[in-house]
Amino acid sequence: MKRLLPLAGIEVFVWSVLLLSTLLISRLAFTINLGNSSILYRIATETIRVLVSGIIVLIWLFVWKKVTDFYFWRAIARSRSTAQKSSER
Amino acid sequence: MLDISSLASVALIFAITFLITFISTPLIGKVMRRHGIIGKDVHKPSEIKLPEMCGLAILVGLTIGTICSVFFFPGATLETTAFMGTVLIAGGIGVVDDLRPLSARIKPLLTAIACLPILLLGTYDPRPTIPLLGTVRLTIVYPFLIPVAIAVTSNGVNMMDVLNGSMSGTVGIISIAVTAILLISGDVNSARLGAGLVAAVLAFHYFSRYPAKVFSGDTGTLSVGAALAALAILGKIETVMIVALIPHIMNAFYGLSSVGRLYERREIRQRPTRLLSDGTIDASAERSAPVTLTRIILATGPMREPEIVRGMMFLTLISTVLAVLTYGITLAGRV
Repeated sequence: MKRLLPLAGIEVFVWSVLLLSTLLISRLAFTINLGNSSILYRIATETIRVLVSGIIVLIWLFVWKKVTDFYFWRAIARSRSTAQKSSER
Repeated sequence: MLDISSLASVALIFAITFLITFISTPLIGKVMRRHGIIGKDVHKPSEIKLPEMCGLAILVGLTIGTICSVFFFPGATLETTAFMGTVLIAGGIGVVDDLRPLSARIKPLLTAIACLPILLLGTYDPRPTIPLLGTVRLTIVYPFLIPVAIAVTSNGVNMMDVLNGSMSGTVGIISIAVTAILLISGDVNSARLGAGLVAAVLAFHYFSRYPAKVFSGDTGTLSVGAALAALAILGKIETVMIVALIPHIMNAFYGLSSVGRLYERREIRQRPTRLLSDGTIDASAERSAPVTLTRIILATGPMREPEIVRGMMFLTLISTVLAVLTYGITLAGRV
């Protein structure tokens, strides 16, 4: 399980960014209000809210992918060089 | 409030579903083997063929457990019907896919249809509670998010079914935590449905854990995934479920983003892992191979199959703890 600790760390990081994202959504997306006078305004408001929230979620996924990519390819390179060294010996 | 009778009702549904699934899994396995519905266990050095589509036992157990729930506790028949309808449609799509494989693009679209019972019976609340945000009103958008949630969850759980017991083990952990949260929140009907899911998945895990005696097939994975999504919607714990499913999302999201499109395992030429002669599994170093959770776990070196599954369950345990924390934060925000 010790080998999985970096991945557990990534999970905690991703969760923290998710919470931060919800905070951002509440401060940015849910302050948008085009008015409640008609159904069209309500649809427009909700669509814009979802779009802004969607962009924040995409940024969250991008950060998640970058962090995991960095860990994965570094770990692969390390394990391959260790295997090569031990076979040379 | 949580009382003894509520706990007893949850325990009763758990016991019935567990018993039915436990008895029917080997029986369905025998039938599948007799009809030649078998698949190769690819992560074993020797040629082992196991009966496919045994996830039908999960479907049978859940259906009988849910019928008993309606029969004994008729308080929330509409919600229970919506839950079971969703699971049965997703399971039906799984049966079709197991018998005649569907394309990678058609399957998510078809699984989205499984949301119809929830939409048609109106058993959703378009005001989800989000941590640090509180209750948000999404009257128009929410119904459009339901098919997406069902498709993503069922296919995410399906993509996790790569090693002996990986699907049943990880979903078992998530459903236990979700059922406990539903019980604590006082939603006894959803907790009963959750207990049924826990029972079916745990009983099935006994046969699918390493060395597996049966394969779940898409019949089991799609129905279990749809059940998780339906529980999240009916129990109003959408964010909690997203956090609990982080390893599944990680697996599906990286697999898809590294390949660049929706794909089926059989279509992939560069495998993400390779079986070594000593029986251990190693990550492929090929750039073009899909980056799956199994491959990420194996990045530091080869492991045996049960060790990888234990790793997946450990990561699911971490995400489940984070999900419980998320529920706590959401509750604190309500106060």
